[in-house]
Amino acid sequence: MTVLPLDGSSLDLGAVAAVARGRATVRLTDAARAKMARSGGWVNDVAEGRIRGQDGRPLTVYGVNTGFGSLARVRIDEGQIRALSWNLIRSHAAGVGPMVIAEQARAMMLLRANALAKGASGCRPELVDTLAAMLAADVVPEIPSRGSCGSSGDLAPLAHLGLVVFEGEGGEGVAWYGGERLSASVAMARAGIPRLVPGPKEGLAMTNGAQLTAAIAALVCHDASELVRLAEIAAALSFEALRGTTRALHPSVHALRPFPGAIATAANLRRLLRGSGLADSVPDKVQDAYSLRCTPQVLGAVRDALTYAAQQVSIELNAATDNPVVLCDEEGDNKAFSAGLFHGEPVGFACDHAKLALCELSALSERRVYRLVTGDLSARLPPLLVEGRGLGLMMPQVTAAALVSASRQLAFPSSADTIPTCEDQEDHVAMSTTAARRAWDVLQNARRVVCIEFLAAVRGIRARRAGDPGVALGAGTAPAFAVVDAVLAGDVPSDDIARIERVVSDGSVLAAVEGAVGALEGVWRA
Amino acid sequence: MREVRLDGQTLTAEALEAVALGRGRATLATESRGLLEVGAAWYARHAQGEILRSKWALLLGGTPPDDPAELSRLFILGHCAGVGPPLAVEEVRALLLARANVLAAGWSGVRPAVVDRILAALDLGVHPLVPSQGAVGAAGSIQLAHAMRVVFGFGGALLPGSDPALLAALPPVTLTQKETLSLVNGSSLTTALGGLAVARGRRLLRQAEAACALSMEVVRADAHALAARPAEVRGHPGITAATRRLRELVTGSELVTEQRSPDSFSIRCAPTVLGAARDALDYIETTVARELNGVGDNPMVFPGHGIVEGGHFHAAPVALAMDHLKVAMVQVASIAERRIFRLTYGNLSGLPSFLVPGSGVNSGMMLAQYTAASLLSEAKGLSMPASVDNVPTVQHHEDHVSMGPIAARSALEVLDRVADIVAIELLCAAQGLDFRTSGQAVGADGQLQAVEPQQPGAGTRVIFDRVRERVRRWEDDQVLHHDLVALGAAVRDGAFG
Repeated sequence: MTVLPLDGSSLDLGAVAAVARGRATVRLTDAARAKMARSGGWVNDVAEGRIRGQDGRPLTVYGVNTGFGSLARVRIDEGQIRALSWNLIRSHAAGVGPMVIAEQARAMMLLRANALAKGASGCRPELVDTLAAMLAADVVPEIPSRGSCGSSGDLAPLAHLGLVVFEGEGGEGVAWYGGERLSASVAMARAGIPRLVPGPKEGLAMTNGAQLTAAIAALVCHDASELVRLAEIAAALSFEALRGTTRALHPSVHALRPFPGAIATAANLRRLLRGSGLADSVPDKVQDAYSLRCTPQVLGAVRDALTYAAQQVSIELNAATDNPVVLCDEEGDNKAFSAGLFHGEPVGFACDHAKLALCELSALSERRVYRLVTGDLSARLPPLLVEGRGLGLMMPQVTAAALVSASRQLAFPSSADTIPTCEDQEDHVAMSTTAARRAWDVLQNARRVVCIEFLAAVRGIRARRAGDPGVALGAGTAPAFAVVDAVLAGDVPSDDIARIERVVSDGSVLAAVEGAVGALEGVWRA
Repeated sequence: MREVRLDGQTLTAEALEAVALGRGRATLATESRGLLEVGAAWYARHAQGEILRSKWALLLGGTPPDDPAELSRLFILGHCAGVGPPLAVEEVRALLLARANVLAAGWSGVRPAVVDRILAALDLGVHPLVPSQGAVGAAGSIQLAHAMRVVFGFGGALLPGSDPALLAALPPVTLTQKETLSLVNGSSLTTALGGLAVARGRRLLRQAEAACALSMEVVRADAHALAARPAEVRGHPGITAATRRLRELVTGSELVTEQRSPDSFSIRCAPTVLGAARDALDYIETTVARELNGVGDNPMVFPGHGIVEGGHFHAAPVALAMDHLKVAMVQVASIAERRIFRLTYGNLSGLPSFLVPGSGVNSGMMLAQYTAASLLSEAKGLSMPASVDNVPTVQHHEDHVSMGPIAARSALEVLDRVADIVAIELLCAAQGLDFRTSGQAVGADGQLQAVEPQQPGAGTRVIFDRVRERVRRWEDDQVLHHDLVALGAAVRDGAFG
């Protein structure tokens, strides 16, 4: 198992996916440990009244010796500072609804650990060690998926994590370990990980930041980068099945309207179709329908949107996100800076934009499916791509239409909403967690639509090859065709779609294609 | 076990829910059995040609197989194109029941044995695994195909807990072509989910009224807003009814009395919003009840008269109703969230911030309001209408579809969020009422002080007690999640009226 160094500034989307999916673990670097210890030490000094303010009295620092949110106006006595941290975890564990899936929970733990590793949160390195140990042992806390506004961070989801990491009177969390659902104390004991008693500010350090948002966003951006390439491969197969015209992909055409995404999609399609005997095989056809001809424009715009989303999310992966931040190198006695780094807006925007892009990716794909199955649009493929005596692909196109419509409904931007909270102190919130969860839903829908396009395009090419057995496929479409063609049984449509989902999700299709034509351009770079 | 007689005319959303939850048992009404026999026999004598073969030719242009059983099998399997997570058990049961009732009306030309077989699956608890996604709410239903595939012995997967041997032991039913078509040709998924949504929505609205009444006690609402006459002169029956219910709940209250200054809108306009939702639910329930008992099938068979092709499989009526249900319930949740905000806001409630003594070291109900806000925002997003969309399908033939299943599924999603918001209002209002009944309020100096204890109405007292049976009063911070789960379950069960 790969062990990645954790220092608050080195994570990328691939690393998040690797840790989330159990292919890597993390270890806090020595430099980050030292930085954390320093800021944690300063907070301890504040908590114990050793730092004085300008008036000579013990310094007041938000969340260390004050209440939270609008209760910042309430000064907390030194004797109650630890109770304050534990109360925060308990009372903020306010999530409802179905639990977050394991890979999202793991990504959230990783991102919280990395934010703390930045050394600006004023907590002990042991918090990160505990999270890293939980990731290594695969102790997965139960995190209810609903109830976070994404400001001031994903408080409720992270508090549920806190109920596993921390111990205290009157309340504990639930975690999965070794395939069993256990109380936090039992799960952690079995995994051999000591739980912590929260110190000053540590409740806040655990909860203040939009890490569930960022976790889901990171996985969406990671998977979307693959899905865009898969959508291009499916489109290239459709190009062949429909005998499309590649002049629309010419590099000089795209140089005239140089959106980087469109240039990349056109280039990928040209590589995939190189050597195809089906593309450009209709004499005198000047141009195709939009769902083929405008693929570089639409998927290119999708690429550009996802690139923006991936850039924003990548910044958040390596950000300190809590409040206050403790900046030990700044001048003056007061090292605490109350600010708003927890606010989920930048990542919420990214998620809202990503889901719009993924919705359109699927909408374009569905229109190609419709062409492939519609007798008078498909350049004389069998109507509904019937093979033998079944109903052909009449209903899979309906399924694709339903998925696109469902995504369209989910594409309403969550970030457009805000509801004042916390006695109007937190009077604008991000709703970024909802944006991220909806982006995730749209991603799953979009992947299934692309799988249906694979089904239709491969059956279309089969029909072409039945008439012309020797016809060559493109350099990249040939291996994709081979992988998908091999898994189709032609019995029940939903079973065939599920078979394709497997070879799409496990990377077989992408690996076969990239093995043949080299790596296609993704939307983010590791 | 409640007996639900299926006659194609009298099924209610509530009865549908009872059967779906296994609290009711459906049987085919005797008179329907006779009608079905007549219709099927007449159809067999008078149908020109073979319906499935002609549909096949229309849609596919190819040649269907000769063997009738193979024809049925290929037709049903060819419709099994669903994807995504499976429908819940109660959703599958509602789907089967809704389809059985359509057929029980006797206009489909199917034999009683077909309906009996579906009801046997319900009785035996044989629950097909039906993927939830891939439905546009027009004509051939993917979800019906997945369900009927199992029920009529064409293979397919089952949900956990089902024993397929129970079904295999029954005598096989060899389907006619019309029966095969009628099993899948309709929007029963939309109707079934719509029926569940109506039953849940009705119950939830009553819980929301109960929570609202409890909040009115805590904020010591002006009783003028609950007077009968002003509601009557405005003339919306829902507003009159909601006003009456709230008034009855607070009857005898020392807290809700006639005062000089009116309350904020989230209190004063509550009967208006709850009443508008009542009226909306009346329309929605009427529409869904019609569809539950309507012949969502094609073609229809009128014994002695003829066989008529139409478009009754199109789910538009219920799709529109479901999209409206979302909006109505989001408005109910939206005003509830503002009351929760008010209750937890010390300056507005005259109670300690976040309804807990010692706010500061305790955050009390702070996060309860965040959760409500988040759920509300999510519900708003989900209430975007599904039926405004259309994607042409099936080779230009099915060129306008309803998206009813998406509307109904998102309506259920919205209701689920609203239920938790209502639970949060109950939690916060009960927490607030404890201060009133024990005579504690925040004085001008910001400190908690003793005042005259005041008691709520008899109805709201019962609601309060039911909250306290499930969650205890917060003196110090606790894990909020447990209380939300306990009250969320009670709200969904209708524990508050």
